[in-house]
Parts: sequence; C-alpha cells; structure tokens
Amino acid sequence: MDVFIQLVVSGIALGMIYALIAFGYQLTFATSGTLNFGQGEALMLGALVGLTLVGHMSYWLMLPLVLVFGALQGVVVERVGVRPAIKTKSEFGWIMTTISLAIIFKNVAENIWGHDDIPFPSPLPTEPLQFFGIRVLPMEIMVVVGALAIMLAVEIFNRKSIYGKAVVATSNDRDAAGLMGINTSMVITFSYALSSMTAAFAGVLVAPLTLTGATMGVSLGLKAFAVAIIGGLNSGLGVIVGGLILGIAETTTGYYLSTGYKDVPGLVLLLLVLSIKPAGIFGKSVIKKV
Amino acid sequence: MLQIQNLHAGYGKVEVLHDISFSVPKGQVVSLIGSNGAGKTTTMRAISGMLKPSSGCITLNGRAIAGLPSNRIAQAGLAHSPEGRRVFSTLSVTDNLLLGAFPRLTFGREKGDVTGDLARVFELFPRLKEREHQLAGTLSGGEQQMLAMGRALMLNPDVLLLDEPSMGLAPLLVKEVFRIIGELKKRGITMLLVEQFAAAALEVADYAYVLENGRISVHGPAEQLRNDPAVKAAYLGAAH
Repeated sequence: MDVFIQLVVSGIALGMIYALIAFGYQLTFATSGTLNFGQGEALMLGALVGLTLVGHMSYWLMLPLVLVFGALQGVVVERVGVRPAIKTKSEFGWIMTTISLAIIFKNVAENIWGHDDIPFPSPLPTEPLQFFGIRVLPMEIMVVVGALAIMLAVEIFNRKSIYGKAVVATSNDRDAAGLMGINTSMVITFSYALSSMTAAFAGVLVAPLTLTGATMGVSLGLKAFAVAIIGGLNSGLGVIVGGLILGIAETTTGYYLSTGYKDVPGLVLLLLVLSIKPAGIFGKSVIKKV
Repeated sequence: MLQIQNLHAGYGKVEVLHDISFSVPKGQVVSLIGSNGAGKTTTMRAISGMLKPSSGCITLNGRAIAGLPSNRIAQAGLAHSPEGRRVFSTLSVTDNLLLGAFPRLTFGREKGDVTGDLARVFELFPRLKEREHQLAGTLSGGEQQMLAMGRALMLNPDVLLLDEPSMGLAPLLVKEVFRIIGELKKRGITMLLVEQFAAAALEVADYAYVLENGRISVHGPAEQLRNDPAVKAAYLGAAH
C-alpha cells in the first residue's frame, strides 16, 4: 500500500506538468479553434533557455525571463504559422505550420545545445521530505503549486478584468467580439503568447526533475495533447483530472508492470474516451445553433 | 451621419449587393425593408465590418470606414446588434453589457459615464436587471434580444444598427421590442433598422429604403411608403 501511495504522489507531479501543457492547448483552441502542435518544443526551448540563463543568475531571476521568452516565442508561432492560415480560412494549414515550426525549433535547439541530455540544477534541496513514510521532493511540490498558481492566475484574469472578459467573448463568438470593438486578432496572438509561456514555465518546472535536452518536448507535448483530449479541450478542470489520471497511470504501470509499458494505459484511456465520449470526460459537445 | 455610396459586397465570387447608396441622417431612424435574401443583413454586415465590401464608400461622421476591421468601426462609434443576437453565452448579463462598452473601458473611445449608462440600460430593460448575474446562454430568446440591444447601446454609439430585432419572438415581445425602438428614437438615437415586419418598421422609421435582389428599388419617407400601392402589395400584405 505504501508503495502505491508513493507512486500516486510521484504521479501527481508528472500529471500536473501534463495538465499545464494541456492547459496551453486549451488557451489557443478557445480563442482561435487552432492548436500549437509545437507545445512540447515551447516547453523544451523554455527549459534550455532557462538552463543557459541559470548559469549566470539565480533560478528565481531566470523564471520571469523565461516567461517573457516563452511569450515571445508564442507570438512568433502565431504570426508566422497560424495567422496566415486563419486569414485564408484554411481549415488545416495551421496543423502543418505548427508542426513544421516545432521541427525547426527542435533542430535549432540541437545545434545550439547539442544532442545530449543535460542535468538541470535544482533550485530547491534535492533531499526528499518525509510525510508518514512517503517521500516527496521539494521540487515536486513546487511543480504542483506552480502549475495550479498559473492556471488560477489566468482564470482570475479572465473573470475579473475587462481584457480577460474580451478573451472569453472572443472564445464565445469571434465576430460578435469584433463588433464590441475587441481586436480579436490581437486576442488570438495573446492566447498564443500565454500558451507558450505556460509551456516554457512547465519546462523550467519539470527540468530539475528530469533531464534537459532538445528532444525532451516530443513525448511530453504528445502526452499532454492526449490529456487535453481526455479532459476535454474546453474544460479547465478536465485537464487537471486528465493530467493526474495519466501521470498516476504511468508511474503505477511503470512499477507494477514494466517501465516499457508505462505509456500504454494513458493511450488506451485516450482511445476509450474518444470512442465513448469524444468531447472528453468533462468536455461539452458543441451544439451549433442556427 | 452615416453615408453609403455605391456599395458592392458579397460572399466569395457571389455578389449580393449591387451598387447600394443611402444615408442615415443624425437623429433619424432609417429602415431597410425587403424580402428574404434581398441583401438586408449583408448590407448591415458590410457597414459594420463583419464583411469586407468589394467596393464602395462608407463614411461615419465624415470618416471613411469601408474595409476597416469591425473593432475599429466600433471604436469610431458604430454599434451593430447583429442578426441572431450573438450574445456571449458563457458570460453573465452584466459582463455582456460591459463588453458593449469595451472601447470606452480601454481607451479606444471617450469613456463618459459607463456606470450611469449601465444603470440606464437596466432601466430600459428591467428584465435584464433581474437576471444581471445569470449567464447569457440561459436567457430566453426575448431576453437575449434585449441583451443584444442593451449591449449595443453600451457603446454610446453615434449610429445604432439593429438587424432583425424581432426575429423569432412571440407577438407580445415583438410589440415590446418596437416600443423600445420608439423609446430610443425619442432619446434621439440615430438608427438603421432592418426588419421583416415591414409595417411595424415603417411605423417607427422616418425614412425607408426597399431592397430588392441587392438593389434599392424604392425609397422615400416612411409615411409615403406606407401608402405606396406597390410596397403595400409586396411587403405590407392584406392583413395590415
């Protein structure tokens, strides 16, 4: 039993990382109906830029700089890859452009930081804390707190500020939002900036727990996409639950079955959800009214 | 106030509006009437920037607005309550109304008294006040129409475009909507009104244009069109 609880606790931290990246998918999907398939690469770039910066300054000073970098990277993706596709009303162009940009970012990263995985210095003590015999790394706690904090911050912004309400209005009905005087192209750019920023943040949160390298984003981005589908592309609660399910399924399978199979339960779950409730566990299916 | 000259617009290669010209003078209510598919809604969409006109000139207070994105046109002082209401369903009634004042709250347009205007909209539509915290998506059709109109008023617009405000409403509510349009007219709000209920529209309007297959066929003071035998036969029907 103790082992099981230990596995669940480790799965939670991993799950929150998935949830955070999946949250980023939701942000752009809400405003523009498009996704950045380079979310994993945004995470990887955030982690590697953080790694370089952390050689010159403290982790805490590096954090805001990485957030700014992430936001700018998101703006580039939107302007270069997504906006032309939206403008020409191309239904699928953005899929190819965001994937292409992701590959380019990965190649650039390989040339700058090399092919090998590099350890990321932990800002917190690496000695695990003991709670009733369960070991928890301080960094794992920070992952959970950090991920929840950024999601909560976005939620409060959307509910309380007029600019946040403009974002929600754009998600509801882009044309009607335009009639209100809202610059909806800017809202979409902003949502891409926010989305890549959360991914970059997830990168520097997870890096001390794993390793940093040009390929670190590939499987994280893909699994987070599964989480976004499982939880529902329009449900904030859904990605947290979906992330936790996937994270815990991974750590437990890794222990009880084999680490070789750790990705299987999550993907089986994805297939199940898609066949039973395609809008996701918490997703609302969209009914088009005339 | 609002002038439209030689407007051409359409969807893709299909031209819907062929050379439309008309104007909405300050303080007046102008109505566009016509059958389904005549181009009434397309005209409204081309004016407010929801649809980019293919050619023609539109000026608001002397300023050219044709082809500008809809958000810039709203900032310039044109509010459009669109066909089908298009309220923000996951936001509360109050939030919907505040978004109507978005340019005023974000330095895009003179701020004025937003709180006072909100109170005035609630006064005009008491049902909205009762439901101020409710999500717009949970309102009835009539309440959503009130909300769409109230939201457009929150811009404190120079010109208000109302597209089919009575569409899909029960007869009693249609009457209520027209009573409110009359009230807005008394307050001196400049309006362009598109309506299926031609008779009611001609009651409230000062001047009217009849659209037929994307062209203006007849126009004149509303009073005169009400008595025009051709208009009577085509749009007012025997029942009126």
